[in-house]
Amino acid sequence: MSSAPTSPAALVELTQLSHFYGKFQALKNVSLTVAPGAIGLIGQNGAGKSTLLKILLGLLNPSSGRGTVLGFDLVRQRHELRGRIGFMPEAESLIPGMRGVDLVALAGELSGMPRRQALRRAHEVLSYLELDEVRYRQCDGYSVGMKQRLKLAAALVHDPQLLLLDEPTAGLDPQGRDAMLRLLHAIASRHGKSLILSTHLLGDIDRVCEQVIIVDRGSILGCGRIGELRQHSLGRYRLRWRGDDSGFAQALTESGLTIQTTPRAGEVVVEVPADWKTVRFFEIAARHSAILSDVVPEEEDLPRLYHRLIGTDSRLASTPATGYPKS
Amino acid sequence: MELDQAGYRTWEGQPRSPWWGCLSIVRVGLSLIFRRWVFWILIGLGLLNFLFHFAFIYLKATLSVQNENIARFLDNYKVTGTGQAYADFMFAQAGICALLLAFAGSTLIGSDYRQGGMVFYLSRGIGKWHYIVGKLLTIAAVVTIVTTLPALILFIEYGTLSNSFQYFLDNPRVLCGILGYGTVLAVVQSLLIFAIAAWVPRTVPLVMTWLGLFALLKGLADAMRAIDGNRYWLLLGFWDDMNRLGRWCFGSLDPNRIPSAGYCLAVLAALCVVSLVLIVRRVRAVEVVS
Repeated sequence: MSSAPTSPAALVELTQLSHFYGKFQALKNVSLTVAPGAIGLIGQNGAGKSTLLKILLGLLNPSSGRGTVLGFDLVRQRHELRGRIGFMPEAESLIPGMRGVDLVALAGELSGMPRRQALRRAHEVLSYLELDEVRYRQCDGYSVGMKQRLKLAAALVHDPQLLLLDEPTAGLDPQGRDAMLRLLHAIASRHGKSLILSTHLLGDIDRVCEQVIIVDRGSILGCGRIGELRQHSLGRYRLRWRGDDSGFAQALTESGLTIQTTPRAGEVVVEVPADWKTVRFFEIAARHSAILSDVVPEEEDLPRLYHRLIGTDSRLASTPATGYPKS
Repeated sequence: MELDQAGYRTWEGQPRSPWWGCLSIVRVGLSLIFRRWVFWILIGLGLLNFLFHFAFIYLKATLSVQNENIARFLDNYKVTGTGQAYADFMFAQAGICALLLAFAGSTLIGSDYRQGGMVFYLSRGIGKWHYIVGKLLTIAAVVTIVTTLPALILFIEYGTLSNSFQYFLDNPRVLCGILGYGTVLAVVQSLLIFAIAAWVPRTVPLVMTWLGLFALLKGLADAMRAIDGNRYWLLLGFWDDMNRLGRWCFGSLDPNRIPSAGYCLAVLAALCVVSLVLIVRRVRAVEVVS
């Protein structure tokens, strides 16, 4: 086995990478550099997420371009690379008739671990994921949540440096989803694993990831730290006040501001012109005997960022912060 | 989840060559078969046939010490220690093995395509060739356990129960025959069942296709030969081709009989190549769409 390049600065580095299925171009000249950490991969159905994941995993050869993951070449060193990556697919991908512990141990052996070590490690990982009580049961009889954790155990058993997770919360109830996200967050933050989380659920990415890759129709629309990609000034402020409700709100409108939303009494989100000075909020409030308690500039959240980049801004209002992006 | 209650530990070991993964695939495949009682019905049938021969050889050895005439009488029942006897035994065992593979193919191969096992295998540190070799070795191991291994045990038993070890020295061709016929059965059946199960993964269609391939083609071959009078039509019966080639390994095939062993070998080799191409195409297709 080739030795791993010493601590690559970039987790993933792709240069002009394209992939064709026949005449259909699934990825178009993708170039990106991603630092180690928790990375979200967002995109609509057919955007190219799965193709990108399969190329990163070494299951597919890119039609053109080149790239490295963990410093390993995607084509020439893909077997070495796969031994250092844990993959949790969206599909069931279990072997019927096998017990949980045997399945996880097999995953370890197929990743290059000796049998005895793989078995010991399978027990450890299953305990860590709280599957120790069902480890001797056949995996066919597991619940959806258990199967998801079993797939995660199979991905973790050989202690990979990078985890590729395809829709890890698919099919889970809210409680199971919450538990899975906490687990992924712990794996990334406490145990220093890098992970690439491909999902439709922006809320999942918001909770676990600090970086994001946004894919649309085979192209990368945005890539980097979520905080850096966000627009910090949207020209909107959230105001909270005590005192004269209707008078203050009316005065804001008369001053040329547009009230976007009124979440509750004594609170509005207003859109301001480019040359607006914040001090003017206080002047208006003073004239109407209202006491301003909060003046908070509105920052872009992940759903807004996503929709801005894929060009579906008009749908923002109806998209919940933790829901599916509309396609 | 109480993450703090159970810690995550790192693994510092050195990964082994991916070819070791083939052995893991074989072990898991065999355990999947031998753990199910359904398959034990067919394995038991093979075991019964083996035990009958085993006991008969023992009986013959015991009685022949007392009376030579009884030994000659028992030779009528074909447990004679000759190549012909082992070829007949392996032919019977191969039939049972074919039935076993018809049902086990879905468990060993088909479920990988139906239930995502392929993604499980191919997303680990092994490549598609490691997967293919691992699965082929698993099927070959099943064939060997049911056909070659019992024949070898009977051969050793026969020689050991003879008056001297001269039997082994006098019959090297029998040993070659057992190994040769066993290899033919293992190679052809493993490639063929893998290819069929990869494309027809569900149990019932798989059983129908697998048995139909042998039974229907044999029927077609016989019919064409009857119509045309050309014995080369018999090459279409793959099952008989394996049998003829196996008997050639034992030296019990009439060299003047058409079709000859060479033609059978050519047909079976072509069948193996086609099967391998189908397997690789299927695995590649799953890599792309999974």
